[in-house]
Order: sequence, then C-alpha cells, then structure tokens
Amino acid sequence: METDHELIERVRGGGDDDAFRLLVERHSRAVYRSAYRITGNSADADDVVQETFLRAYRALERFDARAAFTTWIHRIAINCSLDLIDSRKRRDGRVNDGEDLTAIASTAASPDRVVHGIEMQRAVALAMERLSGNERTAFVLRHFEGMPLEEIGKVLGTQLNATKNTVFRAVKKLREQLQPFTGSLI
Amino acid sequence: MNHLGHDEFVLTYYGEPGLDDERRAHLDACDSCRGELTTLAALLDRVTPVEVPEPEAGYEARVWDRLQWRLHVARPSGRVRRRAEVRPTFWLAAAATIAIAFFAGVLWKSANRRADEPASVVATNTTSTARPIESAKTPEPNRILLVIVGEHIDQSERVLVELTNLTPEGSTDISGTRDRAQELLASNRLYRTTATTRGEEDVATLLDELEPVLLQLAHAPSEVSADELRRMQQRVESKGLVFKLRVVRDGVNRESSTTLSPSTSI
Repeated sequence: METDHELIERVRGGGDDDAFRLLVERHSRAVYRSAYRITGNSADADDVVQETFLRAYRALERFDARAAFTTWIHRIAINCSLDLIDSRKRRDGRVNDGEDLTAIASTAASPDRVVHGIEMQRAVALAMERLSGNERTAFVLRHFEGMPLEEIGKVLGTQLNATKNTVFRAVKKLREQLQPFTGSLI
Repeated sequence: MNHLGHDEFVLTYYGEPGLDDERRAHLDACDSCRGELTTLAALLDRVTPVEVPEPEAGYEARVWDRLQWRLHVARPSGRVRRRAEVRPTFWLAAAATIAIAFFAGVLWKSANRRADEPASVVATNTTSTARPIESAKTPEPNRILLVIVGEHIDQSERVLVELTNLTPEGSTDISGTRDRAQELLASNRLYRTTATTRGEEDVATLLDELEPVLLQLAHAPSEVSADELRRMQQRVESKGLVFKLRVVRDGVNRESSTTLSPSTSI
C-alpha cells in the first residue's frame, strides 16, 4: 500500500485524481469525527469534510513533506470547523440563547438522573454551543483529546499564554452554564 | 497566603505545569481550595465526549462523489491531466439509464404503497380508536414539509432547465441562473436535513443529489466558457436530475394534496 506521502507526490506531480481519492478514502472518516466533535452535528461535519479536502487539495503544493498528512489534514478540518461556527454565529447570532439551562436542570427528576441521564448531556451540548469557536476547539482538544496546551496553540495559531486563557475562559463559561447541576454532582 | 484562583484549579485539574511548590503546598493544606478543586473536578469529569455517530457504509465513496467535481473547478489550470472527452451519446445513454432505473423504483414503491392502502382503510373503519392512530401516521409537519419542498423542487427544476437550455457558444452570462441557485442552495440543505429527519427518503435522496449541482452553479463565475457550460450541463444531464425532479415533484404534490384533503385527515 502506498504511503500518504507517495500519494501526495502523485497528486503534485501529475494531478492524479485517483491518488487524491485514496487520500480522501483513507482519512475522511477521521476528519468527520474531528469535525463532528467541534460542530456537534452530522450535516455540518459533512460540510467540513468537503471543505477540508478541497482546501487540502488547493494547498497541497505547500504541504511540508516532513509533517504527517494526518496532523495536517486535521488542522485544516479544525480551521474549517471554526470558520463554519463563526460564520453561522455571525449570520444567526448566538445559538440557543432562548434555552434556559436552569429549566433543563429543574426538569431532571433526581440527582442520579442528572448525573447519568440525557439531561446533563443536553446541558453540556448547549453550554458548548455557547462557547466561541476557539474556546470550543481548545476545550475539545484539551478535555476530550487530551492534547497538551502547547499543541493546541499550534493548531489554533496562538501563543501558549493565549491558549491557556482560551481554555480558562471555556472552563469558566461551562462552569457558569452548568452551575444548576453542580449541587447534584458531589 | 491567598487561595488558588480559577486558572490554577484548571491547570491542576488537567495536570498542566504552572503551579510552583508553594502553591502546591497551599493546595495540599487548604480545605477550602481542595473543596473547590473537587467541585470543579466533579463537574468536568461529567463533561464526557460527544458520541460521534459512525458514518454509514460507503461514506468515503459518497464524500469523493461530492468532492470530485469541486476539485475539477478548484484545479489550477494545466496542473492536472484532463479527463478524456466523452461523447454526448454516452451522456444521453447514461441519463436514460438512470432515469429508467429511477422511474422503475418510484413505480415499484408507488405500487407497494397502493397495495398497503386497503388495509389502512379497513383499520380506520373497524374501530373508532383506530382513526386517530391512522391519522397520526401522517404528522402535520410532513404535510407542511411536502408543500414547501414541492415549491422548492419546482424552482430548482426551472433553474436546471434554464441551464441545460443554454447554448454553449463563446462566453455565456449565467449570473441570473447562478443567483437563483444561490438562493435555492441555502434552503436545499435545510429541506434535505428535515426530509431525512422526517423519514421522507425519496425527497432526501433527491435533494442530496441536487445539492452539489446547486453548489457548483452557485459558485460559478458570472460568465462561463462554452467548455465550462457544457460540463455543467453534462453534470445535470448525466444524473437525470431534471427528470427526477419532475417525478418526485409530481409525487410530492400528489401526496401533499392527498394528506391535506379533509376526507383523509379526519
């Protein structure tokens, strides 16, 4: 099986569509998963996958052969996800501002249900939607992917201190949003 | 000594460097700070990763199918080998095959639906409690969806017909068609998602096929060369899209008018 770099060379050298198709087939599921974690839904994740490979194709000449294609394509996917979130927020305003997390918390029948049930998941999803694109991405990468802050900075193109502050802000906002649930957590 | 702040709790929770020995010693000794850290940890521990639904089988092929024409548009000139020119008769044959297969599918489904109908009618007439159950099978949102989608399909068909009727000679101004495609594109995605959610598979599949075509048109320049126009027309024709739009539109119109009729809604 040809390596990613060999396929990239085939695309660069002669515009080999089949080589690029193999790259798409090899990485599209992983890109979809990354995009879904940030955008939170399949339709948006699908769009991000399309846009990611389109941007990758256009920028393939600039791809540094010393880097891993997987890392590179994921960075593009994250940027595409952020662009999508930002453009949507600009177009639609803040998402789900009308929903009250306190109301969700109060509908839960018992602390156990809050902890284990879908109410908490729903509240987390809503709280995540209210984060800015950078905050959400930084939080997803740190909290779910376990990526060190320095690495997150490279993805977001920010200095370490700025990256830390983005994570701090994300956690603070989540904490405030999920405040109604904290009483039942300990 | 001052208690730890929010940022320090976050760094500690994630095991990131940032707390010096003195601050660590304070955390170990201070009940209030340890309590605060426990509260934060309890909350963050419950923020679990979003479950990502695994894409269906053949997802990669679907991604490539939608992507490849966009690469063709994005491709810097001269960088990529050109595909062999395909004779128009091939496209006509391909369009006819797709159209026949699609029409056969619609007829088959329609026949199956008709075969099921008498049983439903019997059910509504035998017991009084069966009536609300039957009417609940056609929920109100689906009727509204079908009416709106019917209009959308109608407009999309007009745009595609307009495109395929253009004569590929020299440079052609397609700005009007492009602008209408841009308007339709935004709603197409919404209707596709809604149709999928509401279980209207035929409509969802059609809108899924329509979307990349609208996308291509929406991002086209105001003026296109004869070759570009021919390529766009071939794309529409090869998928038999205009024909499919007509068939589904007729079906949608029939279904929406039937579901809205008083005799069936009671």
